[in-house]
Amino acid sequence: MNTHTPTWTKVLQYAVMIAMAIFMFFPIYWIFANSLKSLTGISQYPPELFPSNPQWGNYLEVLSKPGTLTYLRNSLVLVVFNTLGALLSSSIVAYPLARLRFRGRGVAFALILATMMVPTVTLIIPQYLLFRSFGWLDSFWPMIVPSFFAQPYNVFLFRQFFMTIPASLDEAALIDGCSRWGVFYRVIAPLAKPVYITVGILSASFWWNELFLPLVFINSDNLKPLTVGALTAFQLTGTNGQIAWNLQMAFAMIMVLPPTLLYLFASKYISEGTMAGGVKG
Amino acid sequence: MQAQTTRSRRGALHSDAATGWLFLSPWMVGFLLFSGFPILFSFFLSLTKWNLLGDPQFVGFDNYRTLFSADSELFRTLQVTFIFTFVNVVVTVLMSLLLAVLLNLKVRFKGIFQFFYFVPTIMPTVVMTSCMILMFNPQLGIVNYLLDRAGVADPPNWMGSTTLIWVVVGVASIFTFSTGQMMLIFSAALKDVPLELYEAAAIDGANSWSTFLRITLPAISPMLLFNTVVATVNSFNSSFALIFPLTGGGPGDATRVISLAIFEKAFQSFNMGQASALAVILFLIVAVIAALQFKLSDKSVTYQ
Repeated sequence: MNTHTPTWTKVLQYAVMIAMAIFMFFPIYWIFANSLKSLTGISQYPPELFPSNPQWGNYLEVLSKPGTLTYLRNSLVLVVFNTLGALLSSSIVAYPLARLRFRGRGVAFALILATMMVPTVTLIIPQYLLFRSFGWLDSFWPMIVPSFFAQPYNVFLFRQFFMTIPASLDEAALIDGCSRWGVFYRVIAPLAKPVYITVGILSASFWWNELFLPLVFINSDNLKPLTVGALTAFQLTGTNGQIAWNLQMAFAMIMVLPPTLLYLFASKYISEGTMAGGVKG
Repeated sequence: MQAQTTRSRRGALHSDAATGWLFLSPWMVGFLLFSGFPILFSFFLSLTKWNLLGDPQFVGFDNYRTLFSADSELFRTLQVTFIFTFVNVVVTVLMSLLLAVLLNLKVRFKGIFQFFYFVPTIMPTVVMTSCMILMFNPQLGIVNYLLDRAGVADPPNWMGSTTLIWVVVGVASIFTFSTGQMMLIFSAALKDVPLELYEAAAIDGANSWSTFLRITLPAISPMLLFNTVVATVNSFNSSFALIFPLTGGGPGDATRVISLAIFEKAFQSFNMGQASALAVILFLIVAVIAALQFKLSDKSVTYQ
């Protein structure tokens, strides 16, 4: 716009934007601030906005609890293997949907779009019974194995990206004697690095956040991820049964840090992946 | 020559089908095992009585009859689910639209603002809910401290009130993935609004609010509609992750949404038949909304 914006409008715009930033980010700041308080500091009135006597030892205390590192390890196992499965299987499944013409392709794609909308909770009981019959309850298998059989949303993201790669590259490789698999493996996959990063990030943050599936499938404390551990970890450790909020917030900070760093280093990929489901085809 | 081309084309088409289905096979297996079979099996289970011991007992439509009987909690559960969906969708859609509008202002440091607006929405929901519980705590919480400072004589017990709990649910909804996702989608849609329209409005001397109402809103209305439907479908999925750690369905059954009811019935009271009947009801609700979305996306969005 060429129209001149008056100074006071500019000031107002910045004021609203900064106020909104404070509002949005305050909970995360509050987690951080309370993670540095002592147990008495938590119940201090008025609440301290900036902890005057930061208790960095809270982090040491949380990390030295036997459960914490186990929860962390379990979360990482879920993140790594599910992401691996998502990248491998979803990209393979997406290739023919973007490139090959054959009977049934449209039906398959429609089914993939449709299953994207089915809530997990409507499928969970038969899935539970299925994995129970495999003897897989109380293990990571019910969560990891399905990821190796292509998840609809990831397939959709890969397909949309593959469509933007010129088909002439496939044809050239086919003429050179490549098989379809060769075309996918040698030509398409290397060119599709951005969407691999995007899906990787989305899958990693999904599994870092996931609460429902581990709650259903995991019983043993030593197999619980951080999300489930956070529910029980430090509820009752204070004196006279009060909640140890400071430790709980320090525990929460361990879960806050990775997504924040991920955004700092890969905001472009996060934005693209997050949007792709909604905007243009 | 002509014949040969046709034949080789046909050959290519044939081999494409074999190759295509080979590539699709991981999805086929996954779809049949983890989606197709569960959907059909849910219908069967909903006609049985089963506590996981022994074999399921066929009882016809008994579970549905119980659910739809006058003293059943189903209507309460559906009502709560409706309130949750309404609160969740309205809050996330309005908030994401507001943030997107702000990000489209001509200001500097946009990347920094986007960091502060977006990062809170990609945090694990358990983390944000536990922070909300602390912030809305009647004794320790900063919310009641601020109300106290503002002169409110008797700040409420948010988590203990069956009506005020929805305020907490609404605030917690802001810090979920939906908000960040829709913020970026709205943000892209706002960039596509033709500049000439704004210039024309400026020449007419319209102020920014009336420009927003008369130019921006109509231009992004297809996206607004689309986002609202997607957010509705998403809310059925995200309701458990938000409600379970935040309220556990309470106080009483004030926030006991259907996803929580299914979880409790199936994995805490092991009433598989009734839990499956609830799952089937939820599936049908989502199917109706999904059909609506396909109709909408035909008009507003094109999947090539």
